[in-house]
Order: sequence, then structure tokens, then C-alpha cells
Amino acid sequence: MSIELNNEFGQIDISTDVLAQIAGGAAVECYGIVGMASKHQIRDGLTDILRKENFAKGVVVRKQDDDLHIDMYIIVSYGTKISEVAYQVQSKVKYTVDKTLGMSVKSVNIFVQGVRVAND
Amino acid sequence: MQSLDGIKFAEMVQMGAHHLFQNANYVDSLNVFPVPDGDTGTNMNLSMTSGAKETELSASEHIGKTAQALSKGLLMGARGNSGVILSQLFRGFGKAIEKEETIDAKGFASAFQAGVDTAYKAVMKPVEGTILTVAREAAQKGVEVAETENDIITVMEAFTAEAQASLERTPELLPVLKEVGVVDSGGQGLLFVYEGFLASLKGEPLPQKNEATLDDLINAEHHRAQDFMNTVDIEFGYCTEIMVRFEEGKEPFSEEQFRNELNPLGDSLLVISDEEIAKVHIHSEQPGAVLAMGQKYGSLIKIKVDNMREQHSAIVGEDHKAPTPAKKVEKHPYAIVTIAMGEGVAELLRSIGASYVIEGGQTMNPSTEDIVKAVQEIGAEKVLILPNNKNIVMAAEQAVELLDIEAAVVPTKTIPQGMAAILSFNPETTVETNQATMTEAFANVKTGQVTYAVRDTSIDGVEIHKDDFMALAEGKIVLSTPALKDAAEKVITDLVDEDAEIVTVIYGEETTEENASELVKFIEENYPEVEVELFNGKQGLYPYIISVE
Repeated sequence: MSIELNNEFGQIDISTDVLAQIAGGAAVECYGIVGMASKHQIRDGLTDILRKENFAKGVVVRKQDDDLHIDMYIIVSYGTKISEVAYQVQSKVKYTVDKTLGMSVKSVNIFVQGVRVAND
Repeated sequence: MQSLDGIKFAEMVQMGAHHLFQNANYVDSLNVFPVPDGDTGTNMNLSMTSGAKETELSASEHIGKTAQALSKGLLMGARGNSGVILSQLFRGFGKAIEKEETIDAKGFASAFQAGVDTAYKAVMKPVEGTILTVAREAAQKGVEVAETENDIITVMEAFTAEAQASLERTPELLPVLKEVGVVDSGGQGLLFVYEGFLASLKGEPLPQKNEATLDDLINAEHHRAQDFMNTVDIEFGYCTEIMVRFEEGKEPFSEEQFRNELNPLGDSLLVISDEEIAKVHIHSEQPGAVLAMGQKYGSLIKIKVDNMREQHSAIVGEDHKAPTPAKKVEKHPYAIVTIAMGEGVAELLRSIGASYVIEGGQTMNPSTEDIVKAVQEIGAEKVLILPNNKNIVMAAEQAVELLDIEAAVVPTKTIPQGMAAILSFNPETTVETNQATMTEAFANVKTGQVTYAVRDTSIDGVEIHKDDFMALAEGKIVLSTPALKDAAEKVITDLVDEDAEIVTVIYGEETTEENASELVKFIEENYPEVEVELFNGKQGLYPYIISVE
């Protein structure tokens, strides 16, 4: 699946995988986030943190009407304020997608799939 | 000072929070990373205030308990990225000393180090050049100094100095900071907290902002302006900076009053003052008024006024060449805005009466916004829009709805139609009447076009091969052939009939003047009764655009 953009020169198709990588890459740079998790943790058997090449398993991009929605499945560091970390991910993802692709995101929905305690 | 207890530490926290609170706006102004939303200072301040409140409520002589209270308050009140990091720094700090009644210099330094360790654990990819770097380098220095030094104040001094130095290095580590010319906002916020701690330990007043920070502020303000503005949107055009030395006999200076006086004159206002001097930075349309206002309080010792519109268009100009380069924009109260591809065609349309020609056409349709902007640029009170392309008619109609002036679309679908419509424009009559007569006028024009095929296909029963020339009469494909000459002649024979009086040939970039002259000869020979006009339209994609009236 891909997302279409039109400008005065023609059309640009951006694969949702690319969007997932951009969104996921932006998210893992946020403070307090340990990584991306799979949407289907049991089915995929990936209780582990997703690697960059399969971010798409933890980032779901939907286009409804003309609006772009992104669902993100994340693992957060223990002891941080989860609501704030999630909020940071939302604003960073929105900002990064807008900056790199010039697309405005209608919603970034965060699903906290786990909390990880840092090794002492 | 050899040891630190909970009560003293609580005081330090209050002072740190207060210092951050006083400088929160400044921290906001530095905020360009990770998201330039200008709320780092606000967020850190809210986080720190929550921490300070909790510390005040449950301050105990037991420093471990006081630090726990701070950690809890910070966690609950954490706001924003840097707020969360701040809470982690002090969570680690609190955890390291939770069982201690009092701590010595070594314990103090290692607690900061523990905070940094905790903070780094909660991030996958630490970005250097941020609050994390400032905290880490300061803590390292603290531990180093504490090895030989027993005085907590000395350790805190070295620690704070290193935090300052580290902060100043942040632009070297994070390119986005360097580009804007500011230090990291989160790191700056943290430094304010540390400075507050130090002042409290020494029992000294809080440090005041120095002059260098005004430059940071100005840089940050200017960056924002450049990023989010078009040259035409600059409301206040002169960046004005003055320095006033107060004099006796003049009005006594009050920073707040001065700020209030200046406020209506523009935006991006910054005023910094001490007992002798005030520095002012403002973007205003009336730099003179700013100077006069400064003179009320003393003499002007430094004045700088820049025209930002000039600067801005110079900076932005290269990157943002408008897709619709309008040549001469004359102000017309009653205007015709039209769309054309090719310089020559645009020139032709202007020469017969179009006030503004937006460049565009088959492959680059102007947007509704482009049309609205064009109309606004001419400053017209009444306007007729001629799209000259069926794909732009809708955009033009939308533009009419957005405009709050008298406007109408004459739905021309080709350049020849547009030309015919413009020629019957009457500036003495209403938009409505013009729309009707111009629409009628272009209905009598027949349009022929010659273009080439981009792929093999079959349309209207005509077999088409890639790179063939296609002859279009009134939008219908009548011939597809490898020879341009044949295609052009086919258009002519199809369109010219007994009623035809004038044939206009506009030739484009993909043919030559010689070819075009030959075509003219062909018309003159076969249809001696018609008059032929030839123009170089310089349009792409269409070797010939032909109108028959």
C-alpha cells in the first residue's frame, strides 16, 4: 500500500513501509522509549524490540478519506512518565513526517506494549 | 562545607526551581530540538516546580528522604522531553543517596553521576549535544574534582562551570543548533537549575543574565522568522537594535514600562537592562519611533537598523523560486488573470490585455491558492479569471469563492479561446456582463493543437504510437503520424472552412520558425481568403497551437 501526494509537477507515491520507518525512526530517538514493539506480539512471537527493518510490524499507517493516521506500538523505559514519553513520541513523529514528507498527520495513536526495566 | 543535609538541599532545590522559572521564556526561545515548538522552558519549569513543591512539603533533615521527595515530585509533574530527562536525572540521584542522612562532597558528586547513568539507560539512542551531554560532562567533572576536594561548594562550582562549558559546546555536537546559532535549550534549562543550586550553597543572589544571552535570543527569534515566513508576510520590516545609556535629567527608567511602550510598535521585542544601560531588539515598521522612545531615557550609544524584507528575500530567494514568476505586475483595479504555458504565449496574452499571467498548463496546473495570490498581488477590485485549460477551470472557480472581491471565471479551455475572450473584454462594464460576452466570444473560436504521444494507445478510433505527433481539432484526435508537418496540416484542413477569417499559429519550443513559416505558406496557398498570423509562443509539449476564427 502506498500514500499518494500530488503537487504541481505530478504524483508521488510513498510506500507505507517508508512511512513506518520514518515514524519509527523518529520515535526511537525520543527520550524514554526503549523501542518499537510488534502489534501482534503473540502471533509474531516477537516479544523483543523490533529492528529497523521490521518497524512496519509496530507502525500501522492508515489513510482515511484524506487524512493520515499512524498507530505506533512502543516499549517504554521503566520509571519514566509514560504519558509524557508517549506525548513526545506523538509530537516528534508528527513533526518529522511533516518535515521529511510534507504530509500532515491527523493522528498518532500510541499503544504502550510494554515497560522495560533498565539493567542495573 | 563538608556535609549536606536534607534541609539545605531543599533550599537548593527551591533556588534552582526559582532560577529556572525566571528564565523559562529564554529557554523557550532557544528551543529548536527535537521539535521546535518553543516549550522546553515552560515544560522544564512546570516539572521543576512540581519537584520543588513536593520537596518543600516533605523536606526532612534526612537528605535521602528529601531527594526522594524531589524525585517523586519531578516524576509526577514531568512535562515534555526535557522534563522527563530532568526527572530521570534526579531519580537516579535520589536512588543513590536514599539511605544517607547527610552526604559529603564525594557522595554529592557520585549522586549526580548516578543520575546521569539512570537518565542514559532510559534512552535507546542518546543524542549528544543535548541536556544529556550537559548533565554527563558536568557529573564527570564533579566526580573528578571530588576525589581531591572535600568542600561541597568547590565541587559544585567546578560542576556548574563544566555544565556551562559543555552547554557552550552543544552547537558543535548538534548541527541544528549550530545552524540556528543557539545552545541547546534543555541543557540551558539544566544549567539554570545548577546555577540556582550553587547560588543557594554560597548564599549569594542568583546570577543575572549577561549580554551574550541577548544575542542568543535574537538569533533564535530571527531563525523562527526565517523558517515560517514568506517575504511578503513580514509584517514588521525593520530589525531595530538600540542601546540606551541612562542620563540624569531624563525620565527614570523602568524596564517594564519601556517594554509596554515599545510593544505596540512591533514584535520580537527583547529588552534587557541593568542600572546604566538598556539593550533593545525589536522588529518594527517605525524604527524612528523606537529611537525616539529610547531617547526619552538617555542617549543612544548604539543603533542598528536592518531591512529584513531585503535580507529575507535574499536568503529565501534562491530556494524558493516561485513556481509562478510574474513579470511586470501592474496594479489594475479591473484585471484579467489568466494561465499559460510558455513565455511567448504569456507575452502574447499580456500584449492583448491580460494583467497577470500565471505560468502553468498541461503538466503544471496552478493551484487555487496560486490564483488567489495572483489576484491579491495585482490588488484588483474586480477580476476575470481565464483558466485556458479544462483542468484548471475548477481551481479557478474555487478561487472565485475564496476571493472577497467581484470575480468571475470565463471558462476558456485553450489558449486561442483565452485570446478571443481577452480581445472582447470591456473595462467599462460589469464583471457579469464581461463574463457573458467573453464566453460568447470564445465560443466562436476553433482550437487546433499538435502534440506528441507519450505511449502506444488507441483513442477515438485512432491508432497511436509513442512519439507520434497527434493532431487535435477541437480537443478530438484526428490523426496520429510520425511527421509533424502532416499533423499540422491535418489540423488546418479539418478546422478551416468557408466561415474562417483568421488563422493564428503559435509555434512552440519543439518546432522551428522555418517549419512554422512553411505551415503558414501551406495555409496561404490552400486558403487564400484567410488571414494568417504567426507567433513564437515558446511553449513546451505543443509544437503548434492553432486558432481559427
